[in-house]
Amino acid sequence: MGGYSIEHIRSLVEDARVHRDVYIDPEIFDLEMERIWGRAWIYVGHESQIPNPGDYFITRVGKEPVVMTRGKDGQVHVIYNRCAHKGAKVVERTCGNAQGFRCPYHGWTYKLDGSLQGVPARSGYADTGFDMKDPRFHMQKLAQVDSYRGFVFACQSKDTPDLKTFLGDAAATLDNMADRSPEGELEVAGAPLQYVHDCNWKMWVENLNDAMHPMVAHSSVGDAARRYAAQLPEGTPYPREAEIIFPFGSSYKFFDEMGVTTLPYGHGYMGGEMSIHTEYSEIPGYFEAMVASYGEERAKQILSQNRHNTIFYPSFTAKDAVQAVRVVRPIAVDKTIIETWHFRLKGAPEDMLKRTILYSRLINSNGSMVGPDDWDCYARMQEALVSQSYEWVDMRRGLGKEERLDGKERSFGTSDLSFRNQYRAWLDYMTKDVEDREAA
Amino acid sequence: MTAKAAEKTASAPDVMDIEKFLYDEADLLDRGDLKAWLELFTEDGRYWMPARPDQDDPETEISLFYDDRLLMSIRALNFGHPLSPMMEHPVRTSHVIGNVRLADWDGETARVTANFHVVALQRKEQTVFAGRYTYELVRAGAGWKIRQKRVDLINCDMPMKNILIYL
Repeated sequence: MGGYSIEHIRSLVEDARVHRDVYIDPEIFDLEMERIWGRAWIYVGHESQIPNPGDYFITRVGKEPVVMTRGKDGQVHVIYNRCAHKGAKVVERTCGNAQGFRCPYHGWTYKLDGSLQGVPARSGYADTGFDMKDPRFHMQKLAQVDSYRGFVFACQSKDTPDLKTFLGDAAATLDNMADRSPEGELEVAGAPLQYVHDCNWKMWVENLNDAMHPMVAHSSVGDAARRYAAQLPEGTPYPREAEIIFPFGSSYKFFDEMGVTTLPYGHGYMGGEMSIHTEYSEIPGYFEAMVASYGEERAKQILSQNRHNTIFYPSFTAKDAVQAVRVVRPIAVDKTIIETWHFRLKGAPEDMLKRTILYSRLINSNGSMVGPDDWDCYARMQEALVSQSYEWVDMRRGLGKEERLDGKERSFGTSDLSFRNQYRAWLDYMTKDVEDREAA
Repeated sequence: MTAKAAEKTASAPDVMDIEKFLYDEADLLDRGDLKAWLELFTEDGRYWMPARPDQDDPETEISLFYDDRLLMSIRALNFGHPLSPMMEHPVRTSHVIGNVRLADWDGETARVTANFHVVALQRKEQTVFAGRYTYELVRAGAGWKIRQKRVDLINCDMPMKNILIYL
């Protein structure tokens, strides 16, 4: 490696377009894993997945295998899932409860915070420099770990600002999702969807705030639903499925009015007060439970926030009004796993969770009629970007039309503002450590 | 033997008869005839593909599929739709069903289990899906209707790509 100079990386991102190599060059992918995924706060999991001391859950932060654990004192730890001895992955079960961890190869044992508990026949290590207390002989901790409203993030760099600073106004999405529970708390419900995409991770992230694609890429399912509804006897009430599917075919004007807002660190969201989820019918008992907890005014205020997709660049996206989040796990330059997790609003009628699940089955599932059409478009880009005919990917829509206020930028919903904001952050991450090193 | 038990025994379905029904159902899927296929279901019929082994609730936990007749009808209209980018690629399947067993018969509903191997062509790529079917079948005249078809993939909780047709 080392083929990419800082000037070369800078030349890949212009105001109105980005070079195709950011999507197709494996060397760029490796640099991203180091400089973006190794520096940003990456979503790990939710605290409700590990409610009790000894609970654990394994996942990845960028390329790194990690374990999220809850210590005996209740503290949440995120440690690298690598034995300090020969490098074997120590924990293989996705989740469970344990007193500690034991490497299945040579039997080194670790406490829940990753510190070394013991090694077999320890006398053999006498006078070798081996030290039980030395973190080199531990399952090491990631540099920073913190959580916000139960959402646990970890960061591999000590130099990145704290989680609250990183989240900024994007945190309001997580607040809103949790506040939508009459008890102010969320709980993971069931196993996630794990959807393998044949595309670069950035294509998937960009698509979340791409309001120019639904009326095109998703027009078939809208058409199928309309044709089905048209043959129903007159006066038949629309089923719940329809109110979820139909908004995906909304007009350009509708998405424009939704608006797009961007934030520092590449974050951003669509909507705010209105989105494709605004017109969902009420679920009996829910509003009453909210009023009982918060009072009517505050309950209405909570329910009036409606962000379409909030992107926590680069690893995490959330829908506050639907209580589903999606997690980006990059595998290779052209392979990405997208996990979808679902949340129960504690204290709310179970029908709220059922709607979340219905939504996700219709939209996010590997077997849905929406996700696969996105999937196909990403794969088409991955296939055709190798073309020598043109080296650039365009993102100029709405260029120069954005309003700036308090570190935020806002534009009409079908603007490419969100992409431009993501590539500003991309460039910061990809060039900053090099600049720092050169300045030193 | 009570009269009711005698009746139950006398009317016990023939497994070969059920096998033929399952083969015919699979044939409709292999032909991509979702319109005819969904007519095999009762009005309250369901097609369920859980997202983890031993999942017991399709409504409060995510599944890969949990379709009623309404969604089956929309899916039949969407299948091969010229406006769908994914549907521009041919989707073809080849089902092989075996180990068909009558697990339970209460005089009205037959619970039938079977193993399946489905080789699917999706987006230019050939994939093997395998697992177990659990059917709830009810008598409809001389034939059967499906009240529920549960499809437990052996890899249902692992990362996977698209599933573009009922298996």
